[in-house]
Amino acid sequence: MSEISCHPKTTELKSRDPFLNGLWKQNPVFVQVLGMCPTLAITNSVRNAMAMGLATTFVLFCSNALISMVRKIVPKQVRIATYIAIIATSVTVVDYLVKAISIPVYKALGAYIPLIVANCIILERAEAFAGKKPVVPAMLDGLGMGLGFAFALTCLGAVREVLGAGTFLGVSLFGPHFEPWVLFLLPPGGFISLAVWLLTFTLWRERADRRRQAETVKLEEPAVEVYS
Amino acid sequence: MSNSIKMVRMLGAVSLLCGLLIVVTHVNTLSRIRHNQETIMKESVAQLLPGIQKQIIYGVEPNGDLTIQAGIESEGKRYLIAGYDSGGKLLGVVIEGSERGYADVITAMYAYSPEQKTVTGFSVIEMRETPGLGDRINKDANFLENFKALDASHPIKTVKHGTKKEPWEIDAISGATISSRAVGRLLDKSVQETVPVIEKNLDRIQRGN
Repeated sequence: MSEISCHPKTTELKSRDPFLNGLWKQNPVFVQVLGMCPTLAITNSVRNAMAMGLATTFVLFCSNALISMVRKIVPKQVRIATYIAIIATSVTVVDYLVKAISIPVYKALGAYIPLIVANCIILERAEAFAGKKPVVPAMLDGLGMGLGFAFALTCLGAVREVLGAGTFLGVSLFGPHFEPWVLFLLPPGGFISLAVWLLTFTLWRERADRRRQAETVKLEEPAVEVYS
Repeated sequence: MSNSIKMVRMLGAVSLLCGLLIVVTHVNTLSRIRHNQETIMKESVAQLLPGIQKQIIYGVEPNGDLTIQAGIESEGKRYLIAGYDSGGKLLGVVIEGSERGYADVITAMYAYSPEQKTVTGFSVIEMRETPGLGDRINKDANFLENFKALDASHPIKTVKHGTKKEPWEIDAISGATISSRAVGRLLDKSVQETVPVIEKNLDRIQRGN
């Protein structure tokens, strides 16, 4: 009886899994360390970082959905070409949409939007996930990975904008006497903030892992005692 | 063989679908994009020529003649925007110029007064200069002070920060010398190209026809 009642819960958790996986456990920036070019280049302000993250999320979502839909009819030999065509189309659509929605955002991201095509996260998700899984999990995976990427970019953007310009989302934080730490707006600042974030994230995950292990060991303790 | 046909068929179908998607998006966003670009341009012109009530866009023909345009048509063709006050008096001419900056091409608009032969305002339309350094060419109040009355009858030159003496010199931003020099070159080049056209057609521009 208990098994039956447990079952729906497990499936529910599983269907949400690809989403959480991308957002946190397999975060494209902090865990997989993918897509470093936009991560370093575009994160000098929170607004740019968020816009780039959301644009990438949209592309990932669309390309994952479309690729998953055609996965059974695409011959294996031409799958990469098909994926790239689909990804490039999603990027072009985003390019037009951003231009239509906000010119200031387009001006800030202009050169980087076409480069989303070459963002390895997108092709990686197509090849590793969307090309093998049904549509709904593929869409969730795209959304999770995209939002995970946007989250990581925003974290970096926040550090760089606050230290490098003394503002957050363009709002001045420290008043007119603050001397901005311009280094953080320049490429070296990108590398430094990325390193600090990676370190923080890794230490955090390791601690969580250790705690989880300790809990498992505690649960298994009686069994260990029997064997000893 | 049948496999190859299958591949070609699949790629063709995907390309067709992708092309269709792009065309649909393009058609649906076209008017919004045009509208956005025109708004940006209008804002810049209003900022460069305070008090503007009426404007005429002139396209510059290769022989130096002017033709009235309904809007900014094709990229690459030079144009002037003449601004008039409520009494129909010419306030100044807005000119677009571009020059290679530190990161990419800087495109800017500036106001030119044919009466005083000076540049009276400057505004960047598009640039990818380093945030916090080069992008100050559009924000730094001291730098923008240069363009309130910049003598354009003499070749414009950017000088080191704090050494401006002549009215045709631009005081560079310290720490953003390359971007400041690019602005100087942009203005110098554009003034030399465009001012003769304005001089030649000045009567017509003043009459506004």
